[in-house]
Amino acid sequence: MGIEEAWLIPTYGFIAFGVIALFGRYLPSQGKHLSIIAIVAAFVTFWPVLFDFVSKGVGEYHVPRVWFSAGDISVGSGMIIDPLTIVMLALVTLVASLVQIYSLGYMRHSHKGHIADDPRIGWYFAVHSLFTAAMLTLVLADNLLLLYLAWELVGLCSYFLIGFWWERKSAVNASKKAFITTRVGDVGLLIGILILVAETGTFDISDIIYAVVNGDVSEGKTTLAAFMIFLGAMGKSAQFPLHVWLPDAMEGPTPVSALIHAATMVTAGVFLVARLLPIYEMAESAQMFIAIIGIVTALMGATLALVVTDLKRMLAYSTMSHLGFMMLTLGAGGFTAAAFHLLMHGVSKAMLFLSAGSIMHAMNDETDMNKMGGLRHRMPITGAAFTIGALSLSGIAPLAAFWSKDEMLLAIQDRLSPVFVVLFLVAVVLSALYMSRATYLVFFGPLKVENRRVHESPALMSMPLVVLAVLSVFAGFIALPLGGGYEGIGRFLFYGEHGHDFEFQPLWTVVSIVLATGGFGFGIWLYKSKRTTVDNLRVRFEGVHRVLINRYYMDTAYQWIVDRVVLALGRSVALFDRTIVNDRGVNGAGLTVLGMGKRLRSHVTGLFADYGLAMGSGVVAIALYVWLRSV
Amino acid sequence: MGLILFYILGGLTLVAALGVVTTRNIVYGALFLLVAMSGVAGLFVLLFAEFLALVQLLIYGGAIIIVILFALMLTRTTDFSVATEHRRWPMAAVISLALFGLLAGAAIGDSGDYNTYQRSGISIEELGKGLFENWAVPFEIASIVLLVALIGAIVIGRSGEEEGGEGDQG
Amino acid sequence: MILELAHFQILAAALFCLGLYGVLARRSAVMVLMAVELMLNAVNINLVAFSAFRDISIVTGQVIAIFVITVAAAEIGLALAVIMRLYRRRGTVNVDEIDWMKG
Repeated sequence: MGIEEAWLIPTYGFIAFGVIALFGRYLPSQGKHLSIIAIVAAFVTFWPVLFDFVSKGVGEYHVPRVWFSAGDISVGSGMIIDPLTIVMLALVTLVASLVQIYSLGYMRHSHKGHIADDPRIGWYFAVHSLFTAAMLTLVLADNLLLLYLAWELVGLCSYFLIGFWWERKSAVNASKKAFITTRVGDVGLLIGILILVAETGTFDISDIIYAVVNGDVSEGKTTLAAFMIFLGAMGKSAQFPLHVWLPDAMEGPTPVSALIHAATMVTAGVFLVARLLPIYEMAESAQMFIAIIGIVTALMGATLALVVTDLKRMLAYSTMSHLGFMMLTLGAGGFTAAAFHLLMHGVSKAMLFLSAGSIMHAMNDETDMNKMGGLRHRMPITGAAFTIGALSLSGIAPLAAFWSKDEMLLAIQDRLSPVFVVLFLVAVVLSALYMSRATYLVFFGPLKVENRRVHESPALMSMPLVVLAVLSVFAGFIALPLGGGYEGIGRFLFYGEHGHDFEFQPLWTVVSIVLATGGFGFGIWLYKSKRTTVDNLRVRFEGVHRVLINRYYMDTAYQWIVDRVVLALGRSVALFDRTIVNDRGVNGAGLTVLGMGKRLRSHVTGLFADYGLAMGSGVVAIALYVWLRSV
Repeated sequence: MGLILFYILGGLTLVAALGVVTTRNIVYGALFLLVAMSGVAGLFVLLFAEFLALVQLLIYGGAIIIVILFALMLTRTTDFSVATEHRRWPMAAVISLALFGLLAGAAIGDSGDYNTYQRSGISIEELGKGLFENWAVPFEIASIVLLVALIGAIVIGRSGEEEGGEGDQG
Repeated sequence: MILELAHFQILAAALFCLGLYGVLARRSAVMVLMAVELMLNAVNINLVAFSAFRDISIVTGQVIAIFVITVAAAEIGLALAVIMRLYRRRGTVNVDEIDWMKG
């Protein structure tokens, strides 16, 4: 069992989906256990693949397989196994397993007095399995068509899961919004893929990269394709301006948010850019665009996270901000740093979401942070986990995300202008600020009277939290050379000729530590010293506050576009269809015939004298004709 | 001699016919028809078809004119203060004249071999023989035709249910 | 001048055309019928004339003329019955108003 069998990893999920979806009603508990088995099997199967990979030497392995061919073009369904793939496989299988186990405990509601599973739990787990399978396929795919297919499938599962409780109108709207927004990006992705395929004649990723790097594709086309593909990444990874779906996606069950909107689906965009980074290195303007979009998104997300009162939405904006970091890093060519942060962020953010779910489960689905406070007394495990996660993502050493943030900072200052560095650091401060705000508001301070009855979550839910918490503390150390042949993340996860050793640049590290800690501390102080300070701030910066509360008016703008442009266009097209196509074309043909018939019928007057005259004239005419001919 | 008779009888017939088709008063028209039939009967005599002349007078003059007069009596309407001609009568006149011209032209230009005017005709016996021997089947059929017409006229003309409403519109 | 066939032919033609005019131009149905009678008589004249100016021993022309008269009688009877029915139903025998077969 090794690299060759890596295709098994997604297959379990597909099988589980099929069985549960078709036969769920006959299975015990609607088949939810099957899903768990499938994902754990995938996680287990990952390890032999990893060992095989390591023993064969770090590099890029292809397991090609032809799916179908049409004429000159053949489409494969093979796999690429390289360090990026390994990292993604690890992240997806681990987080998905933990989230599904967590879901066993979470998706139980109070129902007529006693606790029972959600009525549609089978479908929930089925889509979970399908999603994981699709995500894993996306990561393993060696050709763009298969990747695009998996991409769309992942989006579809997201739609299903966001709108899982479709009894709620808000959930339905959110799922539609997510799907449509990402669809806009997907158009770009498809166009980009098609441009590349048209230019190189193949769907295979390695072949395309090879062709582009060797200059077989013109720079103009490369840049265009790069932009288009990034459009798809923007949609999936919630980059400005296609980010509007992510906060609304919190309508879905919290485990879904943890899996899809923190660790896996939203990272697909980052993954895509990373996978195709050689192409972006050849298209400088596209890469610069990515960097700009990245930092804008990062700042936007951070500022928005600062004002929301809904815990899950705060986490959503935080995710958006961190995705912006990753994109920015890729814009600077920091392959290692971006992928590293993807991994670290995924672990920590998933844990934060699961903690939020834990709180919601204990407080009857409450998400307003203002109604919480002092919960660490009642929910110690959750409190500890959340705090660890918050500290990690703020960049406090030596927790996981500190290491990756440091790497990112190094990559950015290495390639991009100081403006980016400064803005990045501002965003770092802001992210520490909102994290500390949330942590304090929820877990510290006085415990409200109405929350006295709150209790810790069952083991099924707390256990995954603990696992992720441990990882959040220690996982960062993989940045360092740990011995036994492993020489640090820089040597494992590299792109280009060779990796780099772990660098320690004291200046930047100190700067980032200071900013992060300072930011976090400032936040704690701000919220600790009574609300009055915060309220004063709110009043003084009222304009800014209003803009932020309205999400920079982006949703308003989009709605305006939909109403005035899209719907208006639709109306005019409908009008055209109704009047011209229908009334003139279809009905017109019929009416013309009717009209002609009516006119032709007019000679039938019903008066026999007219008929007789006609006949008589005819006879005379013929007779005349014959007579004249004979003359 | 024959010629003179011909002109007299022919002229009479034509004038009467003209009267039939132009008079305003229908009854006059019927009477003109009677005169025309009589003229035709005379012409038959001129053509050595005495029996036919008798038949003509009997049937036409005796039966048909009577029937027509009865019909006129029963369908009298007062709207004949209005024109008795169809509004398209010029065209009808033109067509009639044209047809006449053609037929007459054909007649004059005909160069078939015809005997000149005979001085004797056939006897009734020969006519009867021809009728009952060579033309027996048409004869029988003619009688059936008359029967059918009789029955038909009775059925159609039966007074009875006044069916209300339109029937054949559209 | 001797009588010739052409005389009778022309006479018959004139009679026929007068009848035709009557059929096409007259308004009352009964008038039309009378005109039809004229046309039939014209035909008869023609038939008998041909019979006379050909071999007189061939009686075909006269026999046919007899049949024509017969049929004409039958036809008038039926036609007048129809006219009477029509008059009873619609109150008119004006051919201009009998147009329910139109369209």
